Amino acid sequence: MRFGYTIVFLLLTSICRAAEPGAIQFNRDVRPILSDKCYACHGPDPAQRKTKFRFDQEDGAKSVIVAGDAAASKLIQRITSDDPATRMPPAYEGRDKLSPGEIETLRRWVEQGAKWEAHWSFIAPKRPELPSIKDRSWPSNPIDSFVLARLEREGLHPSLEADRRTLIRRVSLDLTGLPPTPAEVDAFLGDASPDAWEHVVDRLLASPRYAERMATRWLDAARYSDTNGYQSDGERSMWRWRDWVIDAFDRNMPFDQFTIEQIAGDLLPNATASQKIATGFHRNHRTNGEGGIVPEEFRVEYVADRVETTSIVWLGLTMGCARCHDHKYDPIKQRDFYRMFAFFNSVPEKGLVYNFGNDEPMMKAPTPEQSSKLAELDAKLRDAEKSYYALEPSIDQDQAKWERRAAHKKKLDWSPHDGLVVDRPQPVDFDGETFVDVGDVANFDYLEPFTLAAYIHPSSPDGAILTRVEDYFEGEGYGLYLINGEVRLHIIKRWTDIGLRVETENPIPLNEWNHVSATYDGYRYASGVRIYVNGQPQKLKVLFDDLNYPLGAKDPFRIGGGGGPKLRFQGSIRGVEVFKRALSEAEAAILALNQTIGQLAAIPPEQRTKPQSDKLALCFLDRFASKKVRAARQQMFDARAERKRYYEAIPTVMVMQDTPTPRDTFILKRGAYDNRGEQVGPGVPGFLPPFQTEWPNNRLGLARWLVSPANPLTARVIVNRFWQMYFGTGLVKTIEDFGSQGEASSHPELLDWLATEFVESGWDMKAIQKAIVLSSTYRQSSKVTHELWQLDPENRLLARGPRFRLSPEMIRDQALAVSGLLVEKAGGPSVKPYQPPGLWQELAGGSGYVQDHGSALYRRSLYTYWKRTVAPPSMVNFDASTRETCTVREVRTNTPLQALDLMNDVAYVEAARKLAERLLTEGGNTPIERLTYAYRLVLARAPKPAEEKILLATLDEFRKRYAGDLASAEKLVAEGESPHNPKLNILELAVYTSAASLLLNLDETITKE
Amino acid sequence: MDTTTLLTRRHFFGVHAFGLGTAALASLLTGELDASATGALPGLPHFAPKAKRVIYLFQSGGPSQMELFDYKPKLKDYAGTELPESIRNGQRLTGMSASQSTFPVVPSRFEFAQYGESGAWVSELLPYTAKIADQLTFIRSMNTDAINHDPAVTFLQTGSQIAGRPSIGSWLVYGLGSETQDLPGFVVMISPGSGGGGQPLYDRLWGSGFLPTKYQGVKFRSVGDPVLYLSNPAGFTHQDRRTYLDALGKLNQLALDDYGDPEIGTRISQYEMAFRMQSSVPELTDLSKEPAQTFEMYGADARKPGTYAANCLLARRLAERGVRFIQLFHRDWDHHGNLPKDLPKRCKETDQASAALVMDLKQRGLLDETLVVWGGEFGRTVYCQGRLTAEDYGRDHHPRCFTVWMAGGGIKPGIVMGETDDYGYNITQGPVHVHDLQATILQCLGIDHTRLTYKYQGRHFRLTDVHGNVVRQLLA
Repeated sequence: MRFGYTIVFLLLTSICRAAEPGAIQFNRDVRPILSDKCYACHGPDPAQRKTKFRFDQEDGAKSVIVAGDAAASKLIQRITSDDPATRMPPAYEGRDKLSPGEIETLRRWVEQGAKWEAHWSFIAPKRPELPSIKDRSWPSNPIDSFVLARLEREGLHPSLEADRRTLIRRVSLDLTGLPPTPAEVDAFLGDASPDAWEHVVDRLLASPRYAERMATRWLDAARYSDTNGYQSDGERSMWRWRDWVIDAFDRNMPFDQFTIEQIAGDLLPNATASQKIATGFHRNHRTNGEGGIVPEEFRVEYVADRVETTSIVWLGLTMGCARCHDHKYDPIKQRDFYRMFAFFNSVPEKGLVYNFGNDEPMMKAPTPEQSSKLAELDAKLRDAEKSYYALEPSIDQDQAKWERRAAHKKKLDWSPHDGLVVDRPQPVDFDGETFVDVGDVANFDYLEPFTLAAYIHPSSPDGAILTRVEDYFEGEGYGLYLINGEVRLHIIKRWTDIGLRVETENPIPLNEWNHVSATYDGYRYASGVRIYVNGQPQKLKVLFDDLNYPLGAKDPFRIGGGGGPKLRFQGSIRGVEVFKRALSEAEAAILALNQTIGQLAAIPPEQRTKPQSDKLALCFLDRFASKKVRAARQQMFDARAERKRYYEAIPTVMVMQDTPTPRDTFILKRGAYDNRGEQVGPGVPGFLPPFQTEWPNNRLGLARWLVSPANPLTARVIVNRFWQMYFGTGLVKTIEDFGSQGEASSHPELLDWLATEFVESGWDMKAIQKAIVLSSTYRQSSKVTHELWQLDPENRLLARGPRFRLSPEMIRDQALAVSGLLVEKAGGPSVKPYQPPGLWQELAGGSGYVQDHGSALYRRSLYTYWKRTVAPPSMVNFDASTRETCTVREVRTNTPLQALDLMNDVAYVEAARKLAERLLTEGGNTPIERLTYAYRLVLARAPKPAEEKILLATLDEFRKRYAGDLASAEKLVAEGESPHNPKLNILELAVYTSAASLLLNLDETITKE
Repeated sequence: MDTTTLLTRRHFFGVHAFGLGTAALASLLTGELDASATGALPGLPHFAPKAKRVIYLFQSGGPSQMELFDYKPKLKDYAGTELPESIRNGQRLTGMSASQSTFPVVPSRFEFAQYGESGAWVSELLPYTAKIADQLTFIRSMNTDAINHDPAVTFLQTGSQIAGRPSIGSWLVYGLGSETQDLPGFVVMISPGSGGGGQPLYDRLWGSGFLPTKYQGVKFRSVGDPVLYLSNPAGFTHQDRRTYLDALGKLNQLALDDYGDPEIGTRISQYEMAFRMQSSVPELTDLSKEPAQTFEMYGADARKPGTYAANCLLARRLAERGVRFIQLFHRDWDHHGNLPKDLPKRCKETDQASAALVMDLKQRGLLDETLVVWGGEFGRTVYCQGRLTAEDYGRDHHPRCFTVWMAGGGIKPGIVMGETDDYGYNITQGPVHVHDLQATILQCLGIDHTRLTYKYQGRHFRLTDVHGNVVRQLLA
């Protein structure tokens, strides 16, 4: 591997030096060698430095160099030594000798005076002068001047401009991720105006598809996913953040604002909901819900991920290398890592996360449509309340009348009965051995509200009252207990780490009747539990509060038992009531009242307690009020329930938030969560520009620092990633590493021009990309001669246009588009298109992937549901990032699995068939016309005669083959869930389906030419 | 096809690998088309390999060493007593048992005996494994850093607990290339325990991390296509595919002539390899020609696709065909409770076939060149997790010691390495860390683990991170 790197490097430098023999540049030529081969032991990390010599600083390097005299320089002597004991890098550590080319570079650098340069990317870019060039006719904008100057230096010429059909396909795919329609191609071909190209570009930049295309790559950087990523890989819901990203690109939000809102939108003054949603960026990292983990270990992991992701995405630095020790190559100290860590360390989050949805901190994030619907429901509820309250004066009068009558019916009674599932009024005596088995009732799970209530007359301070739990103390299930005389509610999945345990602060008296009740609101937190004694809310102690998993216990509902033989109740229990809802405080108090309605009505109103009045009022409204009142009351309840149902279905999104008091941050020795060293506060690395005093020392300040014009990295890093999108490789190839180990820029002045232009334009993302695609550089033909390929296979010199395989999303979206299947609907929850059955189950069991049907099968690929541990295979096959960690480098491989996918995946077979249907219905009557139409749809061009010949022969072969086997033809056209056009001849459809599949599999089809 | 190959080669020769990364450079230097089909990195292997390939029988969930290999007779005396703090010695526990009020020692309910000339102790649950004890080398002193499944399996597979690094199979195929033109170099097969449950697995366990995706493991599945998208669509025959590919090849050739990009030539050859896989994979997975004797050896389960036994048999067939890294995962060894009932089931599902695979390889002369590894991601605690009753107990995850066995290429057979204390809690002799195991596996394949590196984010990464020592006493 190292060998390979060296060769690549030497070829590049040899290209660089073609016009200026012998001129060594430190940053370009020397630093990469010193960094890669020497810094591990002679670099920034003091723990690794074996001697006093360090070559990442000028003084240190100069101490072993005699400038101008290589032979006298210790550095050169050591690297050229034949003695294994003295040769560097040391053979005794298994390190290879420097290559002759590397030695020669260092030797010449010393001979030429050993000029030192600070690392280029740590110095803020200055707007460069345009270089002088010979061919002034070629450049369309400054980008071209820089590219041409380089080419002229190399003695090369740019390629001719690509033809318009190639160009419009190239730019449509690049800016929108979708190919042009034949009409769009024709419009461009027919536009004779001098700014025809700019028209196309402007149209594409204004398209909503542009935002989807741009968002797709940002999702990779943001490690966006629909699942948590560890172990059982539970579901989360971050699509409202994803839609925020699309919207931001669509509105061309300036990149500085785009940054500030995502890093620290919540900390902006009067932050809007949208600005808070934006901070979902740093909640996209993987989270662990595996039972038994040490939560702090993973909480630390989440914070570290935020540091590493921020560092790669904005700074192009591998700060992650400084997590355990000082960086070996760059001047990033371990302390710097943890100062950065401190910015992200105060989120009130758990290390062991909920695995069935979002976890705190999170917020409701209604879509605009949902917001208006919610407002509608609020209004409806207000109206219903108004109508009801308008009746109040008459209600009071009616109730008073009714009470006078009721006072004579002593036995008349009423109690809350909505949702009552167990009702056992009769007393039962328990001797500490027996219990009542009520059977399979009240089988509440952890997300279901309930109320347990009973009168108890205990003779022992310990005993089970009402339970549905395995019959041993640490068993699974829920139960209301008396423990040490205190009333306790348990909801237990696994005693040691999953459950909820709450008890009253004060014990209740033994050997007398008392009413006890507990309510749980179904939201899985101890804060949702109330315990009442004789209707009085009790002060509670939370013993354990981590309920995050469904209950599976099958034991029956028991009175006086459950939770083991030691907890059999001793004494008596009566008046058992269980509700499948959490009763209100008023209702809980009513349950504890002994008097009947008749008795209460007899009490003069001014002498009644609140619960007594409540009971009378609720009874009246429930049973005896006028029909009109009861209807109005019901309407109000219905409106309230409807609003609640709707509100609960509104998506949430996990967001950033800081605790009021920042969490202490420590340097973690060796990166281990439990090995704390010195305490540190938030801050940025010392070798980069300092924090300005007016910035708050929190995430907001960090965000402002990232996009301050003084920051030498951010703008360069971002424009370099844009460049990668258009040319396949960044000007700095090591997209994620602008440090010492990164590769130097192929066009340093161009990179600086783009970076300064980007900042000066107000961080205008569309404008900078427009400049790139308007350049002559971008518009060159991608055809390559053997000689040029030999010289520059990766097109780093840009003597031709970009040519590389489309991204996985583009490959699928293009097939959907040209076949007419594509459903263009922006945003919304992720969808589940075709996927071979069983993929989820074979790894994790469970119910597996439930594929969607209908239009959800044909949405753009950025909306495909992303499960991190089993990512969509047709994306992964084409080198999609797995979304486990931040990924910014685009990778393209060429494998047989890709071939199998494109030929056989039902998604592509169906697309081929739908494309065939288009050819047969829209493409004319002759094979030639249809093939021409097919090429125009797929490749934006007409087929060449040689291609026609091959395809016509293939059509004939398939026609012969299927004519004798119509059954097979029928099977082929039945692939996919969309129906085939019944008017079409099955034989012809099968024949054209085969040909259309061929077209979708062409190298040119899945390549940006 | 031949013309294609020639043209592609012509384009490749004399061209350096700027655009294709070092892998393609490697294939270029060996004069081959594509490194996933063949082609080692230059300089690899670093020295003469003992093994050409690996079959890794991963027992996912953490099989209990206490019941299988690490015989602790004194535990009978300690039964039910509290684990002494001097033994636990500050060991961090998982959240599942850390807050238990008691940590009662529970001895194995299953009997042990000594086998073979090595006198290795093996449990009655593994009679077939016991019979071949002299072919195996037991490492009773394995240890790991992780205490939970996801990080622990990821650690064993990639050398790091955190996602993002290449798996061991990816490293091997990246470094050594493949010996087959018709099959992927790295194949993964998964079987569930008969309960159907167990800890989930994740694609990252055979993922290529930061290596190009062509080095990722290819899952061979027992339902649907053995390899995803392998079968032609309904109504489309193998012959149809040939017709189709002939046309596709010609059309792509025209583009190659026009654009001159050798990547097009690679594309043509990848489509041809896909076509070959459409024959070679079904041929591989078709067990109908295996003699009855095979199924006697591997057990009747081997006739049922998707079982561990069937996968063991497929592993042998893959080895015969030159696949570099073959990895089986058998799920559901995570016995927090119900261990006495569930552990024997897992043993029954795996014991006979694991032993059969070793002996089958031996009979075919393949064992010398195939390294077989058996083991899980960590061990289990000597103390009982959850409720200890007369009939039932469970054990939590235990990182400090567990047992792995190895056999075949490069490994000295019939030795037992490492010892643990009387509680089977701490290693007292010859610790072998996960990174040491990884270094040793690479060593058997002729690779110096410190020199198989890949530069990513400015750093030269390797499977063993910055750790790992080859365990020389295991080597033949």
